[in-house]
Amino acid sequence: MSEVKSYRKPFTPKVEANWWTKNPFYTRYMLREGTCLLGLFVSCEILLGIFLFAMCDLGAAEATAESAAPYMWWINSFVGNPIVMILNLIALAAVLFHAVTFFNMMPQAVRIFMNKNTTDLVPGSFIVIGLYAALAACTVVVLILAFASIP
Amino acid sequence: MHSPRSDEPIYWLLFGAGGLAMAIVVPSILIVLLAAGVASPDVNEGLLSFAQVKGLLGNWFLSLILFGVVFLTIWHSCHRIYHTLHDLTIHTTKLHFFVFYGLAACLSFALLALQFLVYCKLF
Repeated sequence: MSEVKSYRKPFTPKVEANWWTKNPFYTRYMLREGTCLLGLFVSCEILLGIFLFAMCDLGAAEATAESAAPYMWWINSFVGNPIVMILNLIALAAVLFHAVTFFNMMPQAVRIFMNKNTTDLVPGSFIVIGLYAALAACTVVVLILAFASIP
Repeated sequence: MHSPRSDEPIYWLLFGAGGLAMAIVVPSILIVLLAAGVASPDVNEGLLSFAQVKGLLGNWFLSLILFGVVFLTIWHSCHRIYHTLHDLTIHTTKLHFFVFYGLAACLSFALLALQFLVYCKLF
């Protein structure tokens, strides 16, 4: 903070808060920004699940409905709640929308040279296809892990 | 005291890594959560049953990966909400900065502490 009194009078043009509703391109941009709210929702959902899991009696030799009650409430009554499931479905659509737009803009952000002696860049389509492959591979690994470890 | 070095690269790095984590890993986590919601598991059997999650969170590698993904998603989301305030014609101040990055820091410390507690109890 400067102690010198400022005589600047910066011009700030008036912008309405709903400026982005008037042009489909801007609406899409704001929808994309809105996907981060659902990302925060998913994080908090998982955090709640881990909190309730920690509240269970983890030392019990044989887990019973009583010793696992907090976690069972989370998985059956919270994650299984129709409203939360609809929110999860919306969140899934949102993260996929985020993924597609994030992958498609990647070639503008990531520029890799073919080798040290040229200024030729690795084609953007390689990067985009690589990212989609990573998404597919990760989905397969997580699904196998989740379904194969069912006791 | 005013530092000449900006702290923005740290948040930018977390934002970028979080964007990638959210795009690559979070969709599959959501599919599993949706399937578990439909399956409504028992204590010992079914998708994401208590016994299964005990095994998953008791594995240090999987626990660490879950922490990394959720931690980065939290920072990505908070960073983006903070910067989208400008688009909603809200002029951000230092208070907004502390509210949003503070929220991200609190959530990540809570997550770290809880996962560490669970891992120690299961060890």
